[in-house]
Amino acid sequence: MKNPWAYTETVKEHFLNPRNFLMGDETKFKADGEGIVGNPICGDQMLIKIQVKTRENGEEYISDIGWKTYGCASAIASTSALSELAKNRTLEDADKISAKEICDYLGGLPEHKFHCSVLGHQALHKAIKNYQEKKAPEGAS
Amino acid sequence: MELSETSKIGNPSSLHSPGSLSRNILENARKTIAKKLNARTTEIIFTSGGSEANNTVINIFRNSTILASRIEHPSVLKPTEKLGNPCIKIPVSKEGFIDKSFLKNKLETFLQENPKEKILISVMMANNEIGTLEPIKALSKTVEEYRNKGLKNLFLHTDATQAFGKINIDVKKLKIDYMTISAHKIGGPVGIGALFLRSGTPFAPLILGGSQENNRRAGTSNALLAEGFRSAVQYTIDIESEKLFKEKITPLKDFLAKNIKKQIPSSILLTPNKSLPNILSFSFPAAEGESTQLYLDLENIAVSTGSACASGDLEPSHVIMATHNDAEIAHNSVRFSLGLDTQKSDIDILLDKLPPIINRLQKISTIKTKDVK
Repeated sequence: MKNPWAYTETVKEHFLNPRNFLMGDETKFKADGEGIVGNPICGDQMLIKIQVKTRENGEEYISDIGWKTYGCASAIASTSALSELAKNRTLEDADKISAKEICDYLGGLPEHKFHCSVLGHQALHKAIKNYQEKKAPEGAS
Repeated sequence: MELSETSKIGNPSSLHSPGSLSRNILENARKTIAKKLNARTTEIIFTSGGSEANNTVINIFRNSTILASRIEHPSVLKPTEKLGNPCIKIPVSKEGFIDKSFLKNKLETFLQENPKEKILISVMMANNEIGTLEPIKALSKTVEEYRNKGLKNLFLHTDATQAFGKINIDVKKLKIDYMTISAHKIGGPVGIGALFLRSGTPFAPLILGGSQENNRRAGTSNALLAEGFRSAVQYTIDIESEKLFKEKITPLKDFLAKNIKKQIPSSILLTPNKSLPNILSFSFPAAEGESTQLYLDLENIAVSTGSACASGDLEPSHVIMATHNDAEIAHNSVRFSLGLDTQKSDIDILLDKLPPIINRLQKISTIKTKDVK
């Protein structure tokens, strides 16, 4: 039978088999930076945790990523997709990931879902910022 | 009715033979429905469904006082908000029962200040999301009491769309003025419903035009849909559906509720004891309803949810917001509906599939629950 859901096969796949997610106690994932966005009152919340390593050329990149999501299928799938898109990217590059890039990766999302459930990139942005703040020597601006 | 006969039916308003056949079908359906409700045939108006019947009643009371419970169906609430003057929403308890003292206080005020005011009270017989059975009999007693005290223009409407066929309804015993029912909720076709209108109550048609339905609802009568409606009503009479729901389905629902609570201790039961036999609603903390719904869909289990994510307007269920005033509880709510064909083995499958789904969603959720450490 044809997929009767309002979602694409890719969304369905990521919802049913999410990548890089954190099960249970997320503190077991040792993060260099983390960020959380959304609000359970609105129905969606994402937590992103990243580990950062430095390549030989000095570039910092996301060597590992973990996430948790409270939300609908679209929220879970889009956070999963974001984690795949961000992994192994340089921080600078990963910070540029947009809602549109996530949506395109998933083969599209219903219009009303795009606006409310694609928030993972904002959590990632916060996680990168959190990493950079932690790394900066005290007193530096 | 055989399909071959459908080509022979004409416009019920026409005097020729095909029209006459149609009229007989229509009136026969009206008779069956009236008998089922203990109403007169003249008190039954066919509509396009529950929404039209509800809109019709509210429209009769446009620019008058309308008191409607906060958990009414949108087809009552939206026209009430637009047409009621004033529109007063009756608060409900956590279990969904209307606040009777709030209502009495309002009626008392009208009695003192404006006893001639035309007032409609609209309270559903059973809620479609959480199953709560509202105290309609007590409510009609209150209405009678205040009419006797002097509120001569006080009327009671109940939307029985969800309750019809599940519990016995006798409009005479219940002393209801207006009542809404719909065919598809009892296995009949979509597109037809009926409004019970007690003789002597105020009326104004919602749809103006031809003289169909005794000048009360314009538009060519649909004999085919009426026949479908009749057939579904007759079936509920033949099998005594209300008795079956009570004896067969209520125990299954109770078993399901008990075991969900046992297996998912954090779950919040939203359905009270005094509820329809076939509806059970829960909220599962940290597990958003649409996700639960879709995981269950893969197991061929169809449920509905009060989550904003699954609604067209992206608003959480107004019913659960009225009972709990908590968007999270609404987002995480799931309604299980049982039918007369539901078996114990179906419940067992659900009880096998549901807990791991909730557990998984809770484990990847940003929100902590007592079930997931």
